[in-house]
Amino acid sequence: MTDVGGDVLGGAVGAPSLRLGRSRLYLRRFARNRGALVGVVILVLLIGYAAIGTVFTPWSWSDQDFLALTQEPSRLHPLGTNQGGNDMLAQTVHGLQRSLVIALSVSVLTLLIAVVVGAGAAYLGGRVERMTLMVIHFLLVVPSFLILALVSNQVAGDWRVLIVVLTLFGWMFTARVVWSVSTSLRERDYVLAAELMGVSSWRIVVRHIIPHLGALLIVNFTLGVVTTVLSETSLSFLGFGVKTPDVSLGSLLADGAGTISSAPWLFASPAALLVLLTVSMTLIGDGLRDALDPTSTAGGRG
Amino acid sequence: MTGALLSVRDLHVTFPSERGPVEAVRGVSFDIHRGRTLALVGESGSGKSATAMAAVGLLPPNAKITGEVSLDGRELLGLSDRQWSGVRGKRIGVVFQDPLSALTPILSIGRQLADAVRVHTDLSKKQAWTRAVELLDLVGIADPATRAQEFPHQFSGGMRQRVVIALAIANDPDLIIADEPTTALDVTVQAQILDVLEVAKAETGAGVLLITHDLGVVAGHADDVAVMYAGRIVERAPVKRLYRAPAMPYTLGLIGSVPDPHATHRRPLVPIDGEPPSPLDRPPGCPFAPRCPLVVDACRAAEPELIPIEDEHTVACIRAEDVVGQRPDEVFEGALAAPARAVDAEPVLRVRGLGKTFPITKGTIARRQVGTLHAVSDVSFEIGPGETFCLVGESGSGKTTTLLEILRLRPPETGTVEVLGRDLATTPAREIATELRRAVQLVMQDPQAALDPRLPVFDLLAEPMRAAGFEAAAIRTRVTELLDLVGLPPDSLDRFPAAFSGGQRQRLAIARGLATKPRLLALDEPVSALDVSVQASVLNLLAHLKNELGLVLLVVAHDLAVVRHIADRIAVMYLGHVIETGPAEQLFAAPRHPYTQALLSAVPIPDPERERARRRIVLSGEQPSAAALPAGCVFADRCQLRPTLSEELQNRCRTQRPALRDPDEVSGVSEVSGVDVACHAVNPPSDLTRAASGKEGRP
Amino acid sequence: MFRYVVRKAVGWLVMIIVATNATYFLASWFLDPRSNYRDLRPVRTDEQISNALAPYGLDPRTSVLSRWWHWLTDVVTRFDWGHSPTGVPVNSELPHRILVSGQLILVGVVLSVVLGVALGVYTASRQYGAVDRVTQTLSVVLYNVPTVVSALGLVLVAISLNQHLGFTFLHVAGANTAGGVDGFWPNVLDRLNHLILPTVNLTLTGYVSWHLTQRALLLDALNADYVRTARATGLTRAQAIRRHALRASLIPTATSIAFTIPAVLTGAIITETVFGWEGMGRYFIQTINKNDVHGAVAVAAFGAVMTAIGAILADIATVALDPRVRVS
Repeated sequence: MTDVGGDVLGGAVGAPSLRLGRSRLYLRRFARNRGALVGVVILVLLIGYAAIGTVFTPWSWSDQDFLALTQEPSRLHPLGTNQGGNDMLAQTVHGLQRSLVIALSVSVLTLLIAVVVGAGAAYLGGRVERMTLMVIHFLLVVPSFLILALVSNQVAGDWRVLIVVLTLFGWMFTARVVWSVSTSLRERDYVLAAELMGVSSWRIVVRHIIPHLGALLIVNFTLGVVTTVLSETSLSFLGFGVKTPDVSLGSLLADGAGTISSAPWLFASPAALLVLLTVSMTLIGDGLRDALDPTSTAGGRG
Repeated sequence: MTGALLSVRDLHVTFPSERGPVEAVRGVSFDIHRGRTLALVGESGSGKSATAMAAVGLLPPNAKITGEVSLDGRELLGLSDRQWSGVRGKRIGVVFQDPLSALTPILSIGRQLADAVRVHTDLSKKQAWTRAVELLDLVGIADPATRAQEFPHQFSGGMRQRVVIALAIANDPDLIIADEPTTALDVTVQAQILDVLEVAKAETGAGVLLITHDLGVVAGHADDVAVMYAGRIVERAPVKRLYRAPAMPYTLGLIGSVPDPHATHRRPLVPIDGEPPSPLDRPPGCPFAPRCPLVVDACRAAEPELIPIEDEHTVACIRAEDVVGQRPDEVFEGALAAPARAVDAEPVLRVRGLGKTFPITKGTIARRQVGTLHAVSDVSFEIGPGETFCLVGESGSGKTTTLLEILRLRPPETGTVEVLGRDLATTPAREIATELRRAVQLVMQDPQAALDPRLPVFDLLAEPMRAAGFEAAAIRTRVTELLDLVGLPPDSLDRFPAAFSGGQRQRLAIARGLATKPRLLALDEPVSALDVSVQASVLNLLAHLKNELGLVLLVVAHDLAVVRHIADRIAVMYLGHVIETGPAEQLFAAPRHPYTQALLSAVPIPDPERERARRRIVLSGEQPSAAALPAGCVFADRCQLRPTLSEELQNRCRTQRPALRDPDEVSGVSEVSGVDVACHAVNPPSDLTRAASGKEGRP
Repeated sequence: MFRYVVRKAVGWLVMIIVATNATYFLASWFLDPRSNYRDLRPVRTDEQISNALAPYGLDPRTSVLSRWWHWLTDVVTRFDWGHSPTGVPVNSELPHRILVSGQLILVGVVLSVVLGVALGVYTASRQYGAVDRVTQTLSVVLYNVPTVVSALGLVLVAISLNQHLGFTFLHVAGANTAGGVDGFWPNVLDRLNHLILPTVNLTLTGYVSWHLTQRALLLDALNADYVRTARATGLTRAQAIRRHALRASLIPTATSIAFTIPAVLTGAIITETVFGWEGMGRYFIQTINKNDVHGAVAVAAFGAVMTAIGAILADIATVALDPRVRVS
């Protein structure tokens, strides 16, 4: 009876009244988190903006309106224009698309690498495990952003290459998390029980390990999107990421930075979109973590 | 009553929770007097810990507390944290349950004790340190001056609990609250700690509030007992009166469901049906009514008041008069019958010289082996058809490792394992997988951990059958059979483990173990994770299944009382060795090995008169690590017999490891008992006997 | 204890060496110094270009290994970090840039840790209070603001503030006023003024993770059984937290300092770019744009050294906080 509250509530957890389906239970817990719902709404709006934002303007992102260079937001150009006469609304729509595609693909890819490396190291154990961990630790403390810039500057400009580069230098942290969770899963009683009942290894991995990693992976995916957006922004801002003529939110920020006092609207709209994107993903990630974690008590305080 | 040290009146504690407020304590009143011990007995969720923590103001801040708690007439509820801090540690000392987490890991033991002293006195640091060393000495820690400088992780569990007691008595408190002080400890260590608590009580003259679920501990150490159920005290009496004439069916059932390892014959064990109610949906009326065999309609109408039925004996039961004088098995039905005796035949499992070691490694990159942990050394036993065999030992004795080594169904590191007459080393892996695997199944200790929380019951039950290659149709019918077999409702199939109570989950785990119709069912501590009142019904289920299905049970347990109840034969393990083995009846009636004697003696008897009258053997120290096995007898360092032995024999104990032999064979007694003991003192080697007698003969 | 720190420090030294050399090969692979000469008029042949690069140890006709060996010998024997493709010695760029970046990073990290940990401790002991909720929300938002956005936002605020006040209250560009200020104290003040905004930016983006992790760690420690034991001996809640929980919860924080330095470096690069500081961050961008292999490697080495310094400080802090390390 280390925890007085837990002692009393111990009986409550086992009460047979809890008969909701699991997915409905998760959904209910998620929906109770107000922040997460706000996040979902923002994200849906952002995706909608990226998908159909162009209907609000006749201009395409690469069109140049030479009659309106560096103009404030107006009826013709709702978000203004830049030095080249590009319509900012069209530009931000395109930039958001780019940033979203890059962020989503990098998150998926880093997650794949992280699962293979992390779970593999945990499963194989022994020397392989120790060497992998050493490499991960090394890469974690090496100023990887410098190397990222070094590599991407020469090969990038193309957003597809940027995806590859960001993936190559972005998997370590998640891999470490996956590894530590997998090692604890490997030690679970029900895994041992299944082993002793003669259940085959791959069945144990599929039935007992991956479903438990699932929640972790979903949460890490959303947080990975945030990290990637931030890295991509930094790289593009410094001129090592997406380059003209292509645009991303980061390169738009870089463009706007130079004229921040004379034409603040060039900076404001991509900055706002960026922050909305990362905040919404973080809120969703937090909400998912609380909803999927069976030990979480966060639901009780709202 | 006047002059009480601690007086609690109508205490209520309510916690907020996700599903509404939880009333943990509902109107509890009691008094504690100086120099006396009140035991608060109850199962998990009964509100006993919440009551104790309310009395020291250590409940979480979100708890709502009403009522009165006064110490020497001074009201404590409503004190500010600062005012409380003048009471805690000075007037009231607390001993917590889990010594592993109760001490700050980054401060030395001496520093923690000295700090505790200095909170309430203006001693200098140096004086406080001296006092800390004295306290360590008082609670029986050898070489206290040196050990005071060490950190908690350098102390064993029992040693840490001694330190926690030292902390509690550092400022000579008037009241000691001990919250499950021995629950996390091994039984031989528990005996030591209970003695230390008695010393602490004598030293301080304090009153003691003892929180426990163990009726054996209560019998030996309490003066008065209050039984709690569902947040209320349901019965209160002086300890002898309570055990002799319980007036509440719950108390009666509780006493009847505790196995007694010292009983001369196996007494039937009564099960209490069902489980304690959830604090969120308590039934109206008496909370015990749904489980009570004597229930009448009036019980369900209103919750009975606590009323006196005799001097100092109060009870909250409208049928108290009908309960007093009854035996547990007269009131509760379905008492456990003694299991059928073993029949001589081909053994189902034969283990010969089983050994298992683990390397101890150091370094992260270039891992080098710095030692070997001898988890299991030279273990041999046989289990015949229809038999229940128990491996008994304290933590670290290698009993669970032995079990797992057998269940892996792989050729062991050393020795041989034969299952159904087939040697694992020579049987092809395919045959093991298809034939032997389904014949040997396992039930683990903690059903909550052993059942994957993400799988519904159907999949959980089907998993071992799928692994054994059962047909899908056969699985479907078998699954319903299984639920019926262990007494779970048939609509459980699409529920998840979280929807079941602890006892139901263990039934589920047993059903899972039975899925493939095994010959041998291995159980690792099958009831130790369960509440006392639930344990009996699970033990009964096991006995029933064994008789019904002709199962062979291999049980690993630390609780001798439980073992006493189900075992036909027993092997006692210490530090990876079997030190005594034999039929359960004989082993309990006349233990031969000094460790077995000590182990049995350490188990408290749930009967105050016998418990206080008997002489107990209290071992010193704790089971050492198996990293460095002594050359001689593994038990020699703690052996209570050794100081009484001749010098030659003592020397022999230190240098030569005793073999497991039948002592009566050696001493030439014709009747063979079937007991084997590994002890030089019980089995004096013939040459030494001769030498000893020769020496005596000389002038 | 001393041996523990030394052993760790040796490990970090090895890390610096490996990382720096690995960067050399990466940079040699990805950066082509010849491109600096290609746009020059009159047009030069590849051979001419290579000849021009040869004195700087950048001649692409010699093997990477021999160039590396040369470079390494120079670094080890004379601490000469080589030349840029146009012949500017790297060593001439380093000292003042290291000073500029060093002060920014040092002050930024110290302020982030102090502010973050203090906030974490304060809010954890008042969980779900008003301050906790407000700072928690603020931190979550700040966590999601890219360094670029926060830096530019600060610039905007400062400019409007300056306009409002009618004089330059806060400098938004450079490490000091161009042309310098007369007198020692005015000069110091001038430098400090320039330091304000970049430091604020690094702190704002850096403190968040400290706040959130320290809060979580202390909350865990607050619920630990040993805190309850300490309170049972007669300490008030605040005393028990201070004497028992706080120190234990600081240990993982101290250990994690090393892992945050790379993020701080990234933040510093962007901060220097936005505020126009001629530090190592700007230098790195220039070296990459100018295909300056040696310069880029020097920056990487600087980064590795900063990480190692952070890590060694972390180790020392761990030893100071956790006496168990000393015993074992």
